[in-house]
Amino acid sequence: MRDGYERKEDPEDLWQVVDELPALIWTSRPDGHCEYLNQRWFEYTDLTPDNAYGWGWQSVIHADDRENMLETWSLIRASGEARDLEARIRRFDGEYRWFLFRTCPIKDASGQIVKWCGMNTDIEDRKRGELLLQENEQKFRAIFDEAGTGITLVDLTNEVPIRNNRALQKMLGCSEEELSRYETYDELTFERNRKGDAATFRELAEGRLDSLRMEKHFILRNGTSVWANVVFTLLRDAHGDPRHIIAIHEDITDRKLALQKLQANQELLDLAQKAARAMAFDWYIQEETNTWSPEQEALYGLAPGTFDGKYESWRKLIYPPDWAAVVESLRHAAETGDVSVEFRVVWPDGSIHWLMAQGQMFFDDQERPLRMVGFTADISSRKLVEEELRRSEAFLAEGQHLARVGNFTWRVATNEINWSEQLYRIFELEAGTPMTLELIGSRVHPDDMPLLYDMVKSAGRGVSDFEYEHRVLLPDGSIKYLHLIAHRTPDQSGQMEYIGAVQDVTQRRFADEALGKARSDLARAARVQSLGVLTASIAHEVNQPLSGIVTNASTCVRMLDADPPNMDGARETARRTIRDGNRASEVISRLRSLFGRKEFTLESVDLNEAVQEVIALSRSELHRSRVILHTDLADDLPRVEGDRVQLQQVILNLLLNAADAMNGIEARPRQMTVVTRSDQNGRVRFSVSDVGVGVASDDADKIFDAFYSTKKSGMGIGLSVSKTIIESHHGNLWAAANDGPGTTFCFSIPCTNQLTKVSPDLTDGAPEPHDRSNFLRSV
Amino acid sequence: MAELPLISIVDDDESVRESLPDLLRELGFDVRAFSSAEEFLISDYIDHTSCLILDIAMPGMTGPELHNELKFRRREIPTIFITAHADETTRPRMISNGAVECLAKPFSETALINALELALK
Repeated sequence: MRDGYERKEDPEDLWQVVDELPALIWTSRPDGHCEYLNQRWFEYTDLTPDNAYGWGWQSVIHADDRENMLETWSLIRASGEARDLEARIRRFDGEYRWFLFRTCPIKDASGQIVKWCGMNTDIEDRKRGELLLQENEQKFRAIFDEAGTGITLVDLTNEVPIRNNRALQKMLGCSEEELSRYETYDELTFERNRKGDAATFRELAEGRLDSLRMEKHFILRNGTSVWANVVFTLLRDAHGDPRHIIAIHEDITDRKLALQKLQANQELLDLAQKAARAMAFDWYIQEETNTWSPEQEALYGLAPGTFDGKYESWRKLIYPPDWAAVVESLRHAAETGDVSVEFRVVWPDGSIHWLMAQGQMFFDDQERPLRMVGFTADISSRKLVEEELRRSEAFLAEGQHLARVGNFTWRVATNEINWSEQLYRIFELEAGTPMTLELIGSRVHPDDMPLLYDMVKSAGRGVSDFEYEHRVLLPDGSIKYLHLIAHRTPDQSGQMEYIGAVQDVTQRRFADEALGKARSDLARAARVQSLGVLTASIAHEVNQPLSGIVTNASTCVRMLDADPPNMDGARETARRTIRDGNRASEVISRLRSLFGRKEFTLESVDLNEAVQEVIALSRSELHRSRVILHTDLADDLPRVEGDRVQLQQVILNLLLNAADAMNGIEARPRQMTVVTRSDQNGRVRFSVSDVGVGVASDDADKIFDAFYSTKKSGMGIGLSVSKTIIESHHGNLWAAANDGPGTTFCFSIPCTNQLTKVSPDLTDGAPEPHDRSNFLRSV
Repeated sequence: MAELPLISIVDDDESVRESLPDLLRELGFDVRAFSSAEEFLISDYIDHTSCLILDIAMPGMTGPELHNELKFRRREIPTIFITAHADETTRPRMISNGAVECLAKPFSETALINALELALK
């Protein structure tokens, strides 16, 4: 080699440089025979030039590499081109290190290879790294292939197939080869997403994004859907240019399906909640997290998402007076697990709403409250209805209290009696006391017990309505007057039930009595007054002629006493006296026609109607006398001809007489029976029966005489007048003792076509009362 | 001969106007009878009347109204009221209002003479 180089510089210098170069330098002949090795070579191998030049150097080449290396070296020489090879060279200490052999042909001017030169550089470190890399690569490969998630590795620099692993192949149901092509992914992507997904991927590939997560929806070739959560990561090279994309596919199909199912369930739940206006809540007590749906927030009048889940925030929403109840219910829930509370909340607009929360409290392992789950519902409308109901019940109770009216129901068959609270109050019994007829009987005034018996009997017969006025005798000896009405109605089970009301009419009764007294006082006063007016009128009318009479008589006497007597004058004044006397008489008869009876009027009378009118007029009087009236009026009763008013006066008279006859009867109900009948003789008969004291037999023929009376208050005129009236109708009036107690009074008059003549003159023999209604009252 | 005292009678009742003047003439008075207060007021006899016999209740102007009217005209005439409507309060009421007497019809000749004596005193 030394010969081959002619240099201007000192050749010794150059060789020294070559020897010092930190590499193993050598030359060989074209056939590979080694001609030169630098100092470093000898130092490294610890060989001497004698056993290294030529082919001796082979001894330091690792036995495993030698054959391969020699073959490559001969191929290089044959090719005549500069090329590299690698082999291990033994160091002086026996350690083999990898070297890179760089070979280079040296040619003469004609291009003929005259020599080969080379430089071996120590690549042990690199080689180790490579080995390590290879190892790592194998491990990575194993991980890559065996990983549970599908992975792809995309090389962006050239058309390298996409690397993909087994998990992905399994996930997408394709072979490794299929998945190495972009088209396959395009094909599998859910059609609607293809464009978008591709665009997103492009952004990544062009380096506008470094990583990206996307949910990819694949449709496999067998038609099934696969969802994958894909994380793309961009790897850049040293220049920052996009180099690789790694995509990790996590199969979330099951989760997705479950989620979809859940979502469907949730939607259903939401719907149900909305429908029920009941919203779920989930409160982790220890963590102070309180999950509220927008609907739950809406129950509190809050905008969606504005509730922070804090206990304190919640507390502020609750209507303060209800807070204590809420706290109590929470305490109860902490003890029993049951959550149930109704409370009001104040909405931000100030309105108040009723909510109901129900649910379950869950406890941790130390039995501390952990979580409360349940639902809340708006019950404002229910509360309103409840409130309304409560109020109307209160109104009713208050109304009953004020009106002193109590209600009862009475199921006769089973004797079930239900009383309203007010009724207990009226009877001064403790509310809720089971009611029996015996208990009621114990309170009814002993004198009125017949009324109770009658009521029970009537109810037993099933009469549709009854009405009584009776007294109760309270333990303290005080008496209340009660007015009872009842109506029969079938109850829900179809049994007959009486529904009734009882009013405490004590005060009214006292007022009635006071009123009655006032009325009679007034009537008396009016009578006196009218008598006074009458008297004055009579006086004036009569005094005028009397005055004339007296004056004329005085004049007459004076004229006769004169001397000579003035006979003409006396005669004249005496005539005037007679005239004035007649005038006074005329006044009297005028007065009599003015204040006397009215004319008798004939008309066609329906006696039943007349009777009913009289009963209607006298009903309160009969009630007051505690008379139980039974009417039995014949259908198709022929009409009679007569004076309707006069006949009604007779009927009223007989009715009041019968009631009076029973006054003081306490041993039996004061029954009165009114009957109308037509008989075969073309007459109509009216009768009224009482159960009173009756008429003694030796009085029987006297009772129709004027001024006969068994009563202290009466003047005994009524029956006498009645008899006159009935006789003027060509009828008869008579009385008969009953089989049982009491008397029956009857009259019978011809019906219209039987009546030939009715006398219009009723005044003969009849008393002359000024007020025709008075005489009946005073019987 | 001195003029007889004039007694004027005002009464709507004809029998009084017919009978009372005869009696008064028998008693020696001059008499004029009027059927109403109005008739008397337009007559020429107001100033000549020594005594007025006046019915209380009359259609139109009543006796007491005529009495008051005369008082108002300062033509006070001694007045004897007569009435068919008398009650116990009428007489004291009339007398306290300035009447000489109040006679309830029918009145006796004696009562009339006593009243006239009082009026013409």
